[in-house]
Amino acid sequence: MASLFSRRDGAAHADIDKRRSASHESFLAHRAFFWARVAGFMSLFVVLTYVLVDVEPRHNGGSWYGYTLGTLGAGLIVWLAWLGIRKRRPTPGSWSLKGWTSAHVYLGLSLVVIGTMHTGFQLGWNVHTLAWVLMMLVILSGLYGISVYATLPQALSENRREMTREQMIESLATIDRQLETAAQPLAREDADRVIAALEQDVFAAGILARFRGPGSRDATRRALQHISTDRAYDDGADDLAQQKVRALLGKRAGQIDQIRRQMQIKALLEIWLYVHVPLTIALLAALTAHVVSVFYYW
Amino acid sequence: MTFLIRTIDQTATGREIVREREVEGDRLAIGRATTNDVVVADLSIEQHHVVAALGERGMLSLEAAGDREFTFDGHRHRAVTIDPAKGGALTLGLYTLTFGREADGRTLVTVTQEEREFGNRDAVRGFDLASAIPGKRAAAWIGLLLILGAFLAVPIWSGLARSDKQPGANGPDRVAWDSSWSTGQLSLAHHSLENNCEACHVEPFVSVRDETCLACHRDIGDHADRNDLARARGPMGTGEALLWQVAEIFGKEGPEACTTCHTEHEGAGRMEPAAQQFCSNCHATMDTRLSDTALGNAHDFGTAHPELQAVVFAKVGSDKTRRVTLDGQAQEASGLRFPHAMHLSETNGVARMAGNLPAYGEALVCSDCHRRTADRNGFLPVEMESACEDCHSLVYDKVGSTFRTLRHGDVAQMRADLIAMDRAPRAPVTRGLRRPGEFKRGGRYFQDFGRPARNYIGIAQALSEDGVCGECHIPTTSGGEATVMPVFQRDHYFLNARFDHEAHEQEDCTSCHAADTSSKATDLLLPTLATCRECHMGAPAAAAEVPSTCAMCHSYHPPDFRRRKDGPLSPKPGRIAGLPAPARGRE
Repeated sequence: MASLFSRRDGAAHADIDKRRSASHESFLAHRAFFWARVAGFMSLFVVLTYVLVDVEPRHNGGSWYGYTLGTLGAGLIVWLAWLGIRKRRPTPGSWSLKGWTSAHVYLGLSLVVIGTMHTGFQLGWNVHTLAWVLMMLVILSGLYGISVYATLPQALSENRREMTREQMIESLATIDRQLETAAQPLAREDADRVIAALEQDVFAAGILARFRGPGSRDATRRALQHISTDRAYDDGADDLAQQKVRALLGKRAGQIDQIRRQMQIKALLEIWLYVHVPLTIALLAALTAHVVSVFYYW
Repeated sequence: MTFLIRTIDQTATGREIVREREVEGDRLAIGRATTNDVVVADLSIEQHHVVAALGERGMLSLEAAGDREFTFDGHRHRAVTIDPAKGGALTLGLYTLTFGREADGRTLVTVTQEEREFGNRDAVRGFDLASAIPGKRAAAWIGLLLILGAFLAVPIWSGLARSDKQPGANGPDRVAWDSSWSTGQLSLAHHSLENNCEACHVEPFVSVRDETCLACHRDIGDHADRNDLARARGPMGTGEALLWQVAEIFGKEGPEACTTCHTEHEGAGRMEPAAQQFCSNCHATMDTRLSDTALGNAHDFGTAHPELQAVVFAKVGSDKTRRVTLDGQAQEASGLRFPHAMHLSETNGVARMAGNLPAYGEALVCSDCHRRTADRNGFLPVEMESACEDCHSLVYDKVGSTFRTLRHGDVAQMRADLIAMDRAPRAPVTRGLRRPGEFKRGGRYFQDFGRPARNYIGIAQALSEDGVCGECHIPTTSGGEATVMPVFQRDHYFLNARFDHEAHEQEDCTSCHAADTSSKATDLLLPTLATCRECHMGAPAAAAEVPSTCAMCHSYHPPDFRRRKDGPLSPKPGRIAGLPAPARGRE
């Protein structure tokens, strides 16, 4: 049978196989950690040359070695920031977006070495050190981003329990509808607690509340506590209504906790970009100020 | 009396369902409880909220059943009386009860209900952090504008817009907010310029120029001619050569510029002296590039340094100098006779004499004659009156108890003094005749009119080899008259280096200057390179007592006044005025 396929066809199949298997490969492990190796060797090379190159009177961003590292670092920063534009243009070429992201991560990490060696450890309260600090913060936030991307999606999936977000909201609405009907026989004070619970918007949580996650005291839990406390339940109509409301409030609290946990994990997953992206832009500004000021006052 | 209750509900598709029922009686109970005539299933409504009662002339009074108010026609009431025929709307939560009167006299109550919304499919977006945090774009813009504004726009704008672009300008003519551009503190010498960047960084995008440095450092000596510097420099490393190529494109002045060696913004403190390697770059193999140089190659004091050379007066009586190599045999011609060994002996007549004089110890020591300069760096010129005359007396006469002394350093004066000395025996003008009384020899009015032949003999004796002058000076004749050779002594011997005696205070003089074994004044008592190397080795010599960089003895910028003949360390002009030979010798 082999003779039926030309070598070319075989190669094409191998290519497709490769691509298929690649689709299950993390961007971190892309091409057998090719970019990790590139970045690792580059960092090692820079550290070695930093130690071996004799710069008079001492290492400094203004020596020939310092300028070389500075140029390399500035180029890298601009290229790394380019990912923000590149990812919006899904034009496949020899550089897949995955390969690009893999390079972004590892070359970005090597910038810790290149940028720091460029400073020659001469840091101070000036725009030059500002650029270095911003660079380090951007890299740190990126590191955080990678670590949460590696761990949190699993937690997110577990919390969903095969529900979509729409289903979670719908479930809450159904509970609310039942709760309103069930609460009709309740006395004024109890009814007010139920109203407060119904009016509570779980999505109105602020940034800190989102990071705190489920379990915090809210209107639903207060209503639940109020209606449960110190009551001996009977078979009377009023008591039956209260028991029903109590059961529904318990379901509501459970549903809210799932939504809150979802929001918490999402917040932990997404927060780094709110640091990484604006600080990258700030870094580009500081880098511009750094380069221009150095040559302005040359 | 009958109430007609018309309930209008809506199906999910929006179709209306109208149901009617009648309530007999003149009271209508309205509330959440199922026992009411009209049930309002809204949790915000009381179990028994309002009671409507028909009164006289068909008027309807609405009254709150509990302590909660109700809203009628947009106003809140506890009780209100209305005419149903005129209409009106009672709002209870999501429910609206409108009143009217049917043609048959029944009171119509139409109950409508708004649908409560539960859940919101748009709320899906609420899961994302984006719904609770300010956008990335806004934060990015704020950061971008703040940084570009504070660290770029303000300094550049204020630098370009100021009217008086003078270094050191204050107030509005100063560049604002440029301290954030400083890469580090200036050295202590430049501390006053710390907040005045434009003093050195005069033109935008132009590197600091030599002329800017030289505006203050006017008297700095040039190391060598610029072209010679360029020729002498050793081959550059690849990186350095590349850097200079790039730097040249950007308009740097080149490797000979001040800023190449004097880097600033390295932190407060003294500017670092140049490293040994900095000198050896050129001097290690300089003769291969600079064939006409008189300088020997050097790159390490301990291992590669030419023998020391001293500037000495070459010939007695002449102020012409030459450089001699300090090989232990070197000679100088000061024009003096002075055996150091004899004077430093502890047993001979000199020591005996010193012991008898109150101002000296058991024997002479170096410091009896050689006095320190005020900066303790070098030595004052040895002066005959203070250093020698305690022993080498120039007394020639005694009047009563007072001694008359010749003036040192002035041969003509000495001659005049001795001729005028009238106590030397003279041949009488007349023979056989003696003057009487107080006019006779030894009398108060005696006058010797004889020729002072003995005086002339005294002068000749003094200026002879064995005379009082000849003890230390070399007799000679000038213009037919006896005199002595003029004396020239150096106050410094090194042309291109400096030596600090204070730094060597803990050493004995004789460990470098072999004075205790020198019997001739022509011995040049300066140490050889080997003697220096007993303590001093090159900068990398960790085992040496004193690892020494080039800069310990040599200055890149020689202060050129030290080379002038009338430098500040020359002797006072009056001291040598009377010497017959050149007016400006050294003693």
